[in-house]
Amino acid sequence: MTGFDASPYAALSAVMFFIGVGGVILRRNPLIMLMSIELMFNAANLALVAFSRAWVNNAGHVFVFLVVTVAAAEAAIALAIVVALFRRSTNVDVDEVARLRG
Amino acid sequence: MTGSALVSLLTLWMLPFFSAIVIWALGPQLRRAAGVLGSAAVLLSFVLACALFGVATAPGGLHVTPLIGWAPGFTFGLLLDPLSLVWVLIITGVGGLIHLYSIGYMAADKAVARFFAYLNFFVFAMLTLVLSDNLVGLLVGWGLVGVASYFLIGFWFYKPSAVAAALKAFVINVFGDVGLMYAIFVLYGATGSIAYADVFAKAASLPSGVILTACIALFIAAAAKSAQVPLQTWLPDAMEGPTPVSALIHAATMVTAGVYLIARFAPLWNASPQAQELVGTIGAVTALLAAILGTAQWDIKRILAYSTMSQIGYMIMGVGVGAYEAGVLHFFTHAFFKAQLFLGAGLVIHALHEEQDIRKMGGLRRRTPFAFVAMAIGTLAIIGVPGFSGFYSKDAVIYGTLEHGHPLLYAAAVVTAGITAYYMFRMLFVAFGGHYRGEVPEARLGMAQREPSEPVHAREGHVPDWVMQIPVGVLIVGSIGAGYLAIGGAQSPWWRFLSSLYGGAQATAPAPISELLSSLIVLAIVIAGVAVAYYRYGTRSATASAVERLRGEALRMPAVLTNAFYFDAAIELLFVRPARRLGALFAGFVDPAVIDAGVRDVVWLTGAAGYLFRALQTGLVRGYALTIVASAACFVAWFVLTGAAR
Repeated sequence: MTGFDASPYAALSAVMFFIGVGGVILRRNPLIMLMSIELMFNAANLALVAFSRAWVNNAGHVFVFLVVTVAAAEAAIALAIVVALFRRSTNVDVDEVARLRG
Repeated sequence: MTGSALVSLLTLWMLPFFSAIVIWALGPQLRRAAGVLGSAAVLLSFVLACALFGVATAPGGLHVTPLIGWAPGFTFGLLLDPLSLVWVLIITGVGGLIHLYSIGYMAADKAVARFFAYLNFFVFAMLTLVLSDNLVGLLVGWGLVGVASYFLIGFWFYKPSAVAAALKAFVINVFGDVGLMYAIFVLYGATGSIAYADVFAKAASLPSGVILTACIALFIAAAAKSAQVPLQTWLPDAMEGPTPVSALIHAATMVTAGVYLIARFAPLWNASPQAQELVGTIGAVTALLAAILGTAQWDIKRILAYSTMSQIGYMIMGVGVGAYEAGVLHFFTHAFFKAQLFLGAGLVIHALHEEQDIRKMGGLRRRTPFAFVAMAIGTLAIIGVPGFSGFYSKDAVIYGTLEHGHPLLYAAAVVTAGITAYYMFRMLFVAFGGHYRGEVPEARLGMAQREPSEPVHAREGHVPDWVMQIPVGVLIVGSIGAGYLAIGGAQSPWWRFLSSLYGGAQATAPAPISELLSSLIVLAIVIAGVAVAYYRYGTRSATASAVERLRGEALRMPAVLTNAFYFDAAIELLFVRPARRLGALFAGFVDPAVIDAGVRDVVWLTGAAGYLFRALQTGLVRGYALTIVASAACFVAWFVLTGAAR
């Protein structure tokens, strides 16, 4: 133990995560939803580095890099989808884009 | 075993195969060269086989193993011993002559390259059959010759009758293949090996039930391939193929594969007297029935087909009772004179523009003198006139039945010899004696009215006569001289040649009459048969009123003979019709009500499931997100409550 107290970081991470969750569920603008997802990624990253530091285990640090990479890839695809959506119709309300309903 | 012998053996085996592929591939470009190439390949194989004579007759023969390893315990090798050498020499020697003859016979046919490709392929398949040193290789060759036979019977595939005959031959042959396969299972199960050497080494110690089962299964195969009762009906129909095919496959070589099979598996038959009894009896029954049917045929090739069946009956009888040398000798001589008879018939058919009915012939000794000489010498050989090869081999078989204690078979064999003499001379008198009847209308000869048909050969590409006459001439030499090898009985070159295989087999019963007396009895019966034929067809008054007599005979022919003892009808009733019924059942009920219905049920089930589950696909992204979050929350709750996170 290093005496490092991870609880404030964990609390901040939890708050960020639930803000992200709320954003994804409640907002209808796809761009805002994407930003909320990024927020959740970063909340997870924060928790990872904090616990990594607390338990002196570098696996958490390594994992953060992976998450960042995945997030970048995800952002590229998601933005492409948003652009494609916007081209088809100027509507940016995700609830209106429900053509895949079974 | 020397390296050069190995190379020679491999070459003689594979040469016809590669030649078949080359002819097949180059096909139309070759034209006349196809026949030359095919004949050269087979004749070269013959030369190589002759060169290997010394190696093959050495103790143990020439045994190349393993040539190919399939799996542990399953290795393929080649075995050239005196028995397979006899077959190889006939297949390549007589086969080569028939190839040469075919150059002339098939010259006008457009598909001559295809013909020679098939013919070469057949030679390769037959060599595989006799050279294999194990059961599985035998089965491969066995199946391949069946395929080659199918191709060649149906060579003129635009004739519906040829296609039907090919199919019939193939189906019955496959029935035999199944028997052979079953025998392999039984023998492998009992001995743990597929090699002849291993199987025969253990043959004496096997339980008699196993041997009997294996022998019966083997005999089903032999009977199907060699046209023995009750699997004989395909052979007369197989005459739909070109005449050289009839000579090579359905007279000289393939149909004798059953004789080879029994001669090769002699150690098994020797260990099972019941099986020998069965085989000898079937052989005798076939010889007799086929000879009787031979008296009722009008088609020159069908007469020869029935006589082939009858002569193979002799061979099967011979090897069946244990007189292996005699049975194989009869194969050897029969190959010459029967090939010669078929090729002679081919000359006649060729000269008469595809006429095969002997009622439309007559007086041909002046029109086709060479064919007459060939047919006459072949006839003298087949009925067993002393001095001709058939005499020595047929007498050896007939006397062999007596030596091995089968007086009933002896009686059947003697009677058959008389009938053979009768129907062969009937053919000779009707076709070659008297006056030409080609212009006599069909109705006056008691023939069914025929559709005027397209001639199969357009008479354009002409080949000099000697191309077809030389092979026949060589065969004439063989059918006179082949029997001289066996003069002197057990001390003759033939018996000593095969002694390494059958030297131990001795006569089991002292024959009640001497061989000389037996020969005289047979000869008397043969002369009687010839006399009857002469009285009915050969006398001056008979030839003068030939048209009326033939018409009367055709109209009064007993139905039992025109229907070939109803074997076809019985097979139709017992197998073909039930099979059709079964097919109708499957088509009418099983397919729509079981298989299709099953598929439809699966389709319905999938649809119903989709109908249920598609409600989940709302298309609302935020709804999906909520589901994910709720699920995650459930997981977290579960972890916390069960304490699994600790």
